[in-house]
Amino acid sequence: MKKTHIVLIVVIAVVIGAMIGAISDSSTYADFAEAFDNPGSEFHVVGELAKDKETVYDPQTNPDMFVFHMKDANGEEKKVVLHKSKPQDFERSEQIVLIGEAGDDGAFHANEILMKCPSKYTDGEVKTKAEASI
Amino acid sequence: MEYIGEHLLIGQIGNFFVVASFAFALLSTISYFLAEQRSDDAWRKMGRVSLWIHSLSVLGMVMTLFIMIFNQYFEYHYVWQHSSSDLPLRYIFSCFWEGIEGSFMLWIFWHAILANVLLISVKKWEAPVMAVILSVQAFLVSMLLGVYLFEFKVGSNPFTILLREHPDFASLPIFQVPNYTTAIDGRGLNPLLQNYWMTIHPPLVLFGFATSIIPFAYAIAGLWRKQFIEWVKPALTWTFFGIGVLGTGILMGGAWAYEALSFGGFWAWDPVENSSLVPWLTMVAGGHLMLIQRKKGTSVLSMFVFITLTFCLVQYSSFLTKSGVLGETSVHSFTDLGMTGQLALSLMFFVVLSAVMIAINAKNFPKPEKEESIWSREFWMFIGALVLFMSAFQISFSTSFPVINKIFGTELATPSDVADFYNSWQLPLAVVISYVVAIGQFLKYKKTDPKELLKKLAVAIVLSVIVTVSVAIGMSIVNPLVLGLLLGSSLAVFANLDYWARIMSGKIRTAGPSIAHVGFGLILLGALISTSQKKTISQNTSLFDISVLGETYSNSENILLLKDDTLMMGDYFVSYRGKEKDGIFVRYQVDYLQPNATGELDSVFTLYPYIQLNPRMGNVAEPYTKHFFQKDIFTHITYAVLEETDQESDVSESVIKLGDTIFAKNCFMVLTNLNRQPDRGRHNLDSTDLALGATFQLFDMNTVSHSLEPLFVIRDQQFSLSMPDSVPEVGVKLYFESINPDTQDFTFRVEQRDPNDKEFIVMSAIIFPGINILWIGCILMGLGTFIAVFTRMRRK
Repeated sequence: MKKTHIVLIVVIAVVIGAMIGAISDSSTYADFAEAFDNPGSEFHVVGELAKDKETVYDPQTNPDMFVFHMKDANGEEKKVVLHKSKPQDFERSEQIVLIGEAGDDGAFHANEILMKCPSKYTDGEVKTKAEASI
Repeated sequence: MEYIGEHLLIGQIGNFFVVASFAFALLSTISYFLAEQRSDDAWRKMGRVSLWIHSLSVLGMVMTLFIMIFNQYFEYHYVWQHSSSDLPLRYIFSCFWEGIEGSFMLWIFWHAILANVLLISVKKWEAPVMAVILSVQAFLVSMLLGVYLFEFKVGSNPFTILLREHPDFASLPIFQVPNYTTAIDGRGLNPLLQNYWMTIHPPLVLFGFATSIIPFAYAIAGLWRKQFIEWVKPALTWTFFGIGVLGTGILMGGAWAYEALSFGGFWAWDPVENSSLVPWLTMVAGGHLMLIQRKKGTSVLSMFVFITLTFCLVQYSSFLTKSGVLGETSVHSFTDLGMTGQLALSLMFFVVLSAVMIAINAKNFPKPEKEESIWSREFWMFIGALVLFMSAFQISFSTSFPVINKIFGTELATPSDVADFYNSWQLPLAVVISYVVAIGQFLKYKKTDPKELLKKLAVAIVLSVIVTVSVAIGMSIVNPLVLGLLLGSSLAVFANLDYWARIMSGKIRTAGPSIAHVGFGLILLGALISTSQKKTISQNTSLFDISVLGETYSNSENILLLKDDTLMMGDYFVSYRGKEKDGIFVRYQVDYLQPNATGELDSVFTLYPYIQLNPRMGNVAEPYTKHFFQKDIFTHITYAVLEETDQESDVSESVIKLGDTIFAKNCFMVLTNLNRQPDRGRHNLDSTDLALGATFQLFDMNTVSHSLEPLFVIRDQQFSLSMPDSVPEVGVKLYFESINPDTQDFTFRVEQRDPNDKEFIVMSAIIFPGINILWIGCILMGLGTFIAVFTRMRRK
């Protein structure tokens, strides 16, 4: 066998390994039901803030914990414990993506949060110059 | 309705330039194609004239859009969307490329510049090379056409979309007014881009992307003419020029992320960062394969694959950012303009073209007579190229999850610890590459004697072992992969320095490759030390014991600082002094203190991390970094209450006698004494003031006692003043209001607010050791690459 063949086989092995590795290490998008069926594995859950429920952020006791409730795409609502500081502008978020896992305590424990905020100048709105008048 | 004050002519001029540049790109492609097929010089001249007209039209449309932005013609949707009347002039260029259309225009502009520069040296390759470049231009300009072709939208044209005709705005009442243009203001540039790095980083990355077209065009031309190796010589300099430009652009992006974003590092594995790094990796691999080809005549197939792959990956990167497929996964991506199909088509065209042309010619590629020796430079350069490819593949595959999800209906996502996810593959690959870079230059083309090699490397090996051992002990590193990379990258640094100093006898003319490789080694070393040894010092030192939450959730990264309190943090004490609003920024003053010889705390330095009030993207915390020679201290606000707490405090008045008690919400206060000799210095009293202090003992919920002494002061025997005293921990402020001498009654006013309302910030502080090694490496790598390019240009 020629050296180039050995090298090629190694490259192909690494490429396949990288694909399998990436897929097996990856997280998946899921809803709360699936996440709570598989406690301990990491999921991305998309949803929106349950605005009727209270949010608790008490930085005096723990700046790395923020508790709120989120409704997932199916409307299922869960308590969420985010192990980070409360994101700025949290209340304005339209859509939330949580990255984390279901805990034994019935809450979803998130390490990361991504938020989609609506832009202030929503489409269909045009700012006018303050000094100009029509 | 007749509108007054609109500038419709300039839009028509711009549109004319777009159409002209598209038409002449096509005409030039066809002319050059025929010139090549028929070896006809008349067609070549035609192609060249068309190229010139195309270039002038491109210049025209760039100028037109720029004039529209400069003059604030907000009646155009693009201008309205990306600028506003209050925008500082220095950011006006950023408005230009903030949108998809503008960034396409800039890319087209760079291609046009490169094509005209290339005309000087291209000579006999003109027809096929220019045919390829102009066909790319035709595809790119089509993204700006903004016409409908059988229901399909082709491109988006910034010159023809008026705000009042845009479907989202057309019905607004303001457009019922004929002179509406005097009233409207632009939406403005995204404040995130209002940063000096952002005026230079995107154009440089785009320029780097644009340079990939030249080796690609030469490669296709070589396949077309079946001259599989003749094109390498003229294309080689351009490839390394591209490596230098794109590399500098990417690293500037890293510097921007480090200085201005709160990623907490210089690289966040963001999909768009990744998709600009991937073509750079394959371009480096392709460039080195071209070197092998020049010296040895081998690696023809892999060279073609890598050079065309690089260009296709640049197109893919543009597809990822501009099609909207990345959606919310990246800070960089644009919103969808409905051009996904067109972008995919353009990408597929170049992928298929490259693949087919390589496939039909592959059997005719020159083959080496015998296999290269394992002790030859070309063998290890080839291995290095393959390792770069594997690294590029792993990054690209994971970055493509949103695309894979779209095609296969899967729901893949990168995990929360994205750095770990990538590093588990990139770290071992980096270890291999560091050793290849270290020994590469010492190996001879063809064959080297292993013993001689070892002898030559001896000095570098000894030095790097010393560095590795001392760093490993100093930072207590035990991870074998990290140790392996530590040794490999220091070996890469020393071996290349040594090679340049001894073998090349330190001549600047030949220093390019060595300096670039030293820089690369330093980048690996700096990245390794600063990321593996980065330390979050803002641990939670407040009362609450985090460990009750269990090991899994003990990620304490943030510290709460009450205003004017001093807390210990790492080797420092920190104190939050207050905030200051400055335009769209709120700056927070954080003092870092250290005990001096007498044990008192002295302020060592002050940092001003800030929050940018950004109504479009949400408010953004921007870090502030203290740079030391050997480390950086990176500080950023993770949470702060931005709205002023205008919550009313509870106010109550009590009339009491000596020994009586005032009850407040969460405490009670006993008037224990009247002090006729209060501390004058503390309250800044004049010597003529008459003052009476009321000494209280306050007990809070935890029955901890505090003392207060508000004063009642008669100044100049006329006015009475009340000098309050407070207990901030309890949120109580006490005023001594009046004295009734007859009844011996004293009136006090109690102001009480929730003590939690005391102003505070939550911040995070990270120490990055050795980050300067990384920056020095970046500078050296850029410098070395450009020296090498310059040397090659002179040699011609």
